[in-house]
Amino acid sequence: MRSRDGWWAALFLAPQVLGLLAFLVLPLGFAIALAFMKWDGLGEMSWVGFDNFAAQLSDPDFGTAVWNTVKLAVLTVPVGLALALLVAIALNNVRGKTFYRVVYFLPVVTSSVAVAVMWQVILASGDYGVLNSTVHDWFGITLPNWLDDPGWVIVAIAVVTVWSSLGLNVVIFLAGLQTIPPSLTEAARIDGAGPVRIFRSVTLPMISPTIFFSTVVAVISSFQAFDQIYVLVNPDHNDGARTIVYQVYDLGFKDFEFGMSSAAALILLALTLLVTLVQFGVQKRFVHYDS
Amino acid sequence: MSFPISKKALAAAALALTATVTAACSGSGGGAATGGPAAGGKVTIRWSTWGSAEDVALYKGFNDDFMKRHPNIVLKMETVPKYEDYHPKLLTQLTSKTAPDVFFVGDDNVGKFVAAGVLAPLNDKLAGADSKSKPEDFFDGVYGGAKKDGQIYGVPNDTNPEVLWYGKKALKEAGITEDPAELNAAGKWTMAKYLEMNAKLKAAGKAGSIFWNWYGSTYSVISGFGGKVWDGGKFVATTDPKSREALQTLAKGYADKTFLSADVLPASNGANTQFIRSKAGFFAGGRWMIDVVKKGGDLPNYDIVPFPSETGQPMSGAVAASYLALNKDSKNAKEAFTFLTEFVSKEGQLLRLKNGGAVPSIKGAEQVVLEGGYPAHAQTFLDVRDTGFANYSDEVAVPGLTKDINDHLLKVWTGKVAFEQGMTELQSLVDGKIG
Repeated sequence: MRSRDGWWAALFLAPQVLGLLAFLVLPLGFAIALAFMKWDGLGEMSWVGFDNFAAQLSDPDFGTAVWNTVKLAVLTVPVGLALALLVAIALNNVRGKTFYRVVYFLPVVTSSVAVAVMWQVILASGDYGVLNSTVHDWFGITLPNWLDDPGWVIVAIAVVTVWSSLGLNVVIFLAGLQTIPPSLTEAARIDGAGPVRIFRSVTLPMISPTIFFSTVVAVISSFQAFDQIYVLVNPDHNDGARTIVYQVYDLGFKDFEFGMSSAAALILLALTLLVTLVQFGVQKRFVHYDS
Repeated sequence: MSFPISKKALAAAALALTATVTAACSGSGGGAATGGPAAGGKVTIRWSTWGSAEDVALYKGFNDDFMKRHPNIVLKMETVPKYEDYHPKLLTQLTSKTAPDVFFVGDDNVGKFVAAGVLAPLNDKLAGADSKSKPEDFFDGVYGGAKKDGQIYGVPNDTNPEVLWYGKKALKEAGITEDPAELNAAGKWTMAKYLEMNAKLKAAGKAGSIFWNWYGSTYSVISGFGGKVWDGGKFVATTDPKSREALQTLAKGYADKTFLSADVLPASNGANTQFIRSKAGFFAGGRWMIDVVKKGGDLPNYDIVPFPSETGQPMSGAVAASYLALNKDSKNAKEAFTFLTEFVSKEGQLLRLKNGGAVPSIKGAEQVVLEGGYPAHAQTFLDVRDTGFANYSDEVAVPGLTKDINDHLLKVWTGKVAFEQGMTELQSLVDGKIG
């Protein structure tokens, strides 16, 4: 009987396991192997050892991409999460929160390409952009060329990223807030705690696992930013928008340097892993899992 | 609970289910490799290109006409709007053996595909009885990287010779009384005269010339100075004295704003706007510029002239080209070639380019360029095409090299890298890539 159950389990698991092997394990293994090869996508592969990694680590474009990616993470993660927490707290106490939840969640389910095109219309330079032309017409103020200026483009991308990911973080935080037993807040209030103290001493510790989860996800997501940036700005013409994933795409599909591209992808993987491990190391001091 | 089913049958079912799921997830592809006669004896030929909605409409007209004449062939056109997205997709399709039967290839990528051996050689087919486009019907210089060791792997669809558009009003406002096209006709259109006009435009508070940062304009200027870009398989643009002088002139011009790079101008005051508002005297571009000047509404104000030479005599200028290639793995090579040869034939180009912004690549279809009588010296497009050059085969054989050269030169033009350092780095970059 147990043996038969095993076969049934195998039957139902097989598609998933083989799918995982075919679409995750094999490509990952291939990418790792490729990082040590020189391959243009069509011709012969040749072994080059660590040359691809060395070339990437000494390439100024890769340095620019890493720096832009870090800047994007620094700009989007704290601001995005703080804003989401504020909105979630506000929504937690209003009527019709389902309606607002839907409204804030809409950008999350909207195609990232559509989001980018819409923001392109808003942020375009000079008379072409809704934002710049409106501010100029109403207040006489000339705003920067958000998408053309290498110094401002990362700010523009950060704004779009925060806007489009806000809903997801709000929903997660709302879920976290609703797990806080009302008795805890009530007890604190009876003890004379004001709203700020309640937030600091009850709310924050209680939702710290949620904050930690959101932070990890947001950092990984910002490290993998690509599609919106690709549509919003052409990083080919604006170095300020070049991120690591764009570098991976550029090397692989424009320069046909698949080995180099895989090496850049693995460096991104290592960087993401390192930052996540640091976050897990630090969380022990700030995250409270006991109710 | 038990079922009368054997372990082997279960395992087979699991594998079959997995295979089905895997196949479903891997996409339909279709691919040239899977082609074959469809129901009713019809053959489906997939072909792909990049292009705007207007381009696609022109191609659709050709497709409909073709299918009427060949009821046994169904054409399936696959288009990508942006040029820069097209080749990544094509490369992926070629790698996975799902590429179309016939496809466009850009002049900066064709060498790579020729070297990889994924394109069918066309000499015999083009010279054969079924061909509507013989190899000699096309100007030799336009084949560029699509020809290797005498074998043709891609046929030029059409061309866009790089010329200098100029605004008569801007020149007049800068105190320039001579007309560049007339100087050219008299054999007096020299590099010195051109630079003198640029200086006058600059002194009048205008830009002299606007260039897109691509090989077409850069190499045309080098050619105008009498320099070389590639020589005997070596990149000599940074070492050949005349080429270096050309690049230095460009760098100096970009630095003092005599020249503007269209690539870095803000969208609100871009190259087209500046040219139409007579803020710049010259704008390097192809026949597609007609659409730009039409928007300005002052058509008689504009005319064209070739890039100047040192002596005033005609020199070889750059000609942008794209190629139509036949997938080596096509299962319907005969029908695919029928489409290819008709697409690039004289009749095909006359049909496709009637209202288009390109210049025919084939001899005998010149009326497309001349019949509208615009611009006044439209013949210049044909002259540049007939004597011009597509991107160098040594350069296009290395994937991404043209892009890397352009990107690096842009750093020099924008002053991010000093000229001498830029030239040293450019040489190392090219040497490193060609190995």
